[in-house]
Amino acid sequence: MAGQSDPHLSIFSPSEVEFVAEDEIVDIVPNIRMDALNMICGDFGPFFPQIPTKVPLWLAVALKKRGKCTIRTPDWMTLDRLTQVLEAERESPREFQPLPFHYIEISKLLFDHARDDISDAYLVRSLIEDIRDVRFHKVETGLETISGRTHAVKLKNLSAMEVNIVRPFMVRTLQAFYKHDSPQMIQQADNAGSRSTPVDRGPRVSLHF
Amino acid sequence: MKGRAVKLREAHKSSSPALCSAAWGPGGQHVVTASAADTAVLIHDAAALLAGGRGSGLAPLTMIRLHKDGVTALAIAPGAGGSLASGSIDHSVKFFTFPEGKFQSNVARFTLPIRSLAFNKKGTLLAAAGDDDGIKLIATIDNTISKVLKGHKGSVTGLAFDPKNDYLASVDSFGTVMYWDLCIGGEARTLSRVAPTFRSDNSVRNMLCWSPDGQTLAVPGLRNNVVLYDRDTGEEVSTLKGDHEQPVCSLCWSPNGRYLATAGLDRQVLVWDVKSRQDIERQKFDERICSLAWKPDGNSLLLIDVMGRFGIWESVIPSTMKSPTEGIPDLNSTKVSLFDDDDDDDEKPCTSGGLEDDIDESLSDSAPLSHKRLKRKSTFDGYSEDEDLIHQLDSSKRMKDKHKDKKKDTEKANNDSATSGRLVTARMQAAFQPGSTLPQFGMRNFLAYNMLGSITTIENEGHSHVEVDFHDTGRGPRVPSMTDYFGFTMAALNESGSVFANPCKGDKNMSTLMYRPFDSWAGNSEWSMRFEGEEVKAVALGAGWVAAVTNLNFVRIFTEGGLQMHILSVSGPVVTAAGHGDQLAIVSHASDCLPSGDQVLDVKVFNISERAQSLSGRLLLTPSSQLSWFGFSENGQLSSYDSKGTLRVFSSQFGGSWLPLFSSVKARKSDDESHWVVGLDANNIFCILCKHPQSYPQVMPKPVLTIFELSFPIASSDLGANSLENEFMMRKLHLSQIQNKMDEMAALGLDTTAYEDEAFNMEAGLDRCILRLISSCCSGDKLVRATELAKLLTLEKSMKGALTLVTRLKLPMLQEKFSSILEERMLNDRKVAGAVGFCSNATIKRLTTYETPPSKLVQNGNNLLGSPSPIPKPGNHESSLTEPKKPEAEQARGNNTLKASPSPAFTPLAKVSKNSETKRDKIGASNATVVDQNKKGGMDQNGARKMSTEDCNRTELQRPVNPFAKSSSSKEQSPSLLDSIKKMNVETEKVEKPNSKKVKV
Repeated sequence: MAGQSDPHLSIFSPSEVEFVAEDEIVDIVPNIRMDALNMICGDFGPFFPQIPTKVPLWLAVALKKRGKCTIRTPDWMTLDRLTQVLEAERESPREFQPLPFHYIEISKLLFDHARDDISDAYLVRSLIEDIRDVRFHKVETGLETISGRTHAVKLKNLSAMEVNIVRPFMVRTLQAFYKHDSPQMIQQADNAGSRSTPVDRGPRVSLHF
Repeated sequence: MKGRAVKLREAHKSSSPALCSAAWGPGGQHVVTASAADTAVLIHDAAALLAGGRGSGLAPLTMIRLHKDGVTALAIAPGAGGSLASGSIDHSVKFFTFPEGKFQSNVARFTLPIRSLAFNKKGTLLAAAGDDDGIKLIATIDNTISKVLKGHKGSVTGLAFDPKNDYLASVDSFGTVMYWDLCIGGEARTLSRVAPTFRSDNSVRNMLCWSPDGQTLAVPGLRNNVVLYDRDTGEEVSTLKGDHEQPVCSLCWSPNGRYLATAGLDRQVLVWDVKSRQDIERQKFDERICSLAWKPDGNSLLLIDVMGRFGIWESVIPSTMKSPTEGIPDLNSTKVSLFDDDDDDDEKPCTSGGLEDDIDESLSDSAPLSHKRLKRKSTFDGYSEDEDLIHQLDSSKRMKDKHKDKKKDTEKANNDSATSGRLVTARMQAAFQPGSTLPQFGMRNFLAYNMLGSITTIENEGHSHVEVDFHDTGRGPRVPSMTDYFGFTMAALNESGSVFANPCKGDKNMSTLMYRPFDSWAGNSEWSMRFEGEEVKAVALGAGWVAAVTNLNFVRIFTEGGLQMHILSVSGPVVTAAGHGDQLAIVSHASDCLPSGDQVLDVKVFNISERAQSLSGRLLLTPSSQLSWFGFSENGQLSSYDSKGTLRVFSSQFGGSWLPLFSSVKARKSDDESHWVVGLDANNIFCILCKHPQSYPQVMPKPVLTIFELSFPIASSDLGANSLENEFMMRKLHLSQIQNKMDEMAALGLDTTAYEDEAFNMEAGLDRCILRLISSCCSGDKLVRATELAKLLTLEKSMKGALTLVTRLKLPMLQEKFSSILEERMLNDRKVAGAVGFCSNATIKRLTTYETPPSKLVQNGNNLLGSPSPIPKPGNHESSLTEPKKPEAEQARGNNTLKASPSPAFTPLAKVSKNSETKRDKIGASNATVVDQNKKGGMDQNGARKMSTEDCNRTELQRPVNPFAKSSSSKEQSPSLLDSIKKMNVETEKVEKPNSKKVKV
């Protein structure tokens, strides 16, 4: 359901979300000697061969493309951790496991550009896909429970891409429920209803991620 | 004469034949039985068994029902508080207390059933094996698996530790016997298919047993006999062939090793006199006996048959023959504690007689006996490893092969202690290359790994592939991989080339040294040298030279092109060598190592281009550790790292000393981490983190360097500012290093400006650190310490800063002290300045060195500082105030400064040049001082001279020359400092008054 929601309703396109995710910090092991890079977002480096450094993902990918570094797989992207997370996801139908906010985007970028740096890449990839599916399924089933009395849904540990997919639909749904529920709205249903809905996001609609 | 028939009583019920095991408790008071068809382990009281109730159902003392399946193996740790280990078909090994039978722990889990267990003599190691493909060695002290020995093809059914703890013998169901060397943790030899094969029948198993003196190993033979194998060679010594009609399945030595009991598949139990190779007793049973155990201190034999019925055969050996407990070989002091002392004496009434008899016996028996006597003479309160070692070393003189045994004993001690958590190495360590790892079959290993790159090799069908990689792929030259037909085991790498060497292997393969430059204008510029009757032990590379140290203790130095330049001798067997620039450092053994395992190493540093020896002394290591890395830091400081994880850096302070600057133990996050050093620079150490079983890195995946800051092992002081104190010491060290560099540069007549800036910055940093320390001292109410710190301040400005600090903190006493220090300094300056007029240049310098040297510099610095920088007004004011009052003659050196201060329009550039002039003057002056002092005699020691030169140089270098440096430093001073200086007007005036008075006088 959520996965099939109209893409035009998303506030961000997936590539935009990925762009945002590129600011995440990852560890790289450079194989060159390079002075520090002074960027608007901060100073990175200096780089010494074989000594790990923290850089934003976009820089890591750029260096990787030029064969200047290897990207270290983040802790959460190891086989053990992902297996644990998948198990936990399956066991608890109401909760989401804490994963990095941009886990889908980060893993996609790493699989696209630094596949050789990930040990058991195939397994890790299938695990991440499984986790994503399980979580989407949970979101879907969760949405089904929203009824007319719901004004807010608390979704902890939801990741950027997941939020992005369900956000427009959910916000509108909640707004609609809110609107139809409020006595004021019932009174003014005829004249003011259609005008105010798109603007009014509703103060009580709070999503906790 | 036939013995009475032994009656067996049921302990473990079973419907079909199953493997049962039985064992005596250490004191001989308890009997433990188990069956593969029963989950219970039973502990029986031996005395009750013998006394009454023969046949009547006497209940066992304890019944342990914790295994989920049948129990296949039992072992009891020796010693009074020994524990009971049981292994089961349920794949687990469990520990219980003995004789209470309380569960202690699950020791190990296997993937398949356990078949055999054995404790070593001291109870420190438990070997466990079964259908899995490895024998696990478990350290009982912490239940960790210290080693897995793989090599058996079938399931391992018998394990036995050599009483001397050198070997573990094991036999599998195919009848293959393997000796494992416990020191190296690997296979020593294999005797293929020497025992009967019981492939599928689990109710029978192959056994083996070491004779109590450890000289022979008894294994069931293929021809229904028992074969005795030699301990060291694995050769067949003798066979016991007799009336067994089917293969022997169980055997057991009498405590003294004189008799051997065997049980065969033909349901007979035979007792042999080993010396005469005759069977002296026999008994036939209804069922097969599958386990035998001789009472450790008596003439009785415990038996258990496949149906789970057990019994004790008393008086096995007829009274006409020697008791089986006579002259028990005593290999270990712990063996004594194995028995209660009373028992020991009671059971052996004829100890002395037995001893004398035994001396007549074969040589192999007498050696362990001498151990025993030595032990008896000395009093052992507790078990001391070293003492034991010494005794064994003494007595080993009687052994045939003296050397071999000594080595083994030490190795044994080594191994034992390793399992109990201590490392004792009483052997001279072998030569190694820093940054190399051990070769592993089928895997790449490092020949060299340093901050620049790595050389790796892999053996492949008779020849090796050598690859050279640079960490910095952007800069380093690309080196094609090389096929190596020599089998290189040593290599060194630097920017310009790599050097390889191999040891000699027999006559055909001579030791070869090969050099490959990375970049050369001429083609084919690699070269190799062959050594006849000589073997290269270590290699090193430097700027334009290659060095090889050989087993004849020669240092051979070649040029880059292969010219043989020098051949020198070093003092002992080489340990390792390292090169950096012109410097070649060689570590060699000075003598055999101490009994405690301390290596005695010498280090020598040669300067190749000057043909000089710049250092010769002892290389210092942590007690009982080995050198594990040796080399130069990036800035050329000699450093060493030992197996206990301490990094030491050589410093010229105190006439040459090694400073401990890093401790692996303090840096590690968990106990199983260790640090494999790659290199270091002035502030950091670069190492590779290794997780426990591995102590060195693998080639794949590429190791990643971890950085740690160098730090002194600071004692935790009452101040609670350890990091500050550490910074203080580190900065002092750096300052002295910079000053040393400047000395060298100055001696060569080179420009030291760059270093002077560095030194000035370092001083400023040191002062900042001291100020912070003073403030924490003040808040900790350590006023004396604060005063001491204040005396260490070099810059006058920071001195004043300290004064303000204490004023603000309302510590009038300190305020007084500090101002008197400041006063004293200024006074000294005046004195010096006054002296200039009357004395020669050289004498001023000497005076300065005797008085507090920094103060003068500070004064000078301030003068210079005052003029160009407009910020510190009070300072300016002060300098202009004081300078005219100075005695007219600062001519020799002060001219420039005097001129500088009144004319602010003076360009900085001009000033620098003038300053450099004065500097040169000073170099002359300092030289003069040196000569002067030497003439005065007494102090012509190296260190003293160095000190004086250092001081002299200090005088020049501490003057900030570069006006930019100054301004930056004033910026660096914290704003509070500036404030303080402004507020200091009052104080400075106070200080000045007495000063000016004195000057006038």
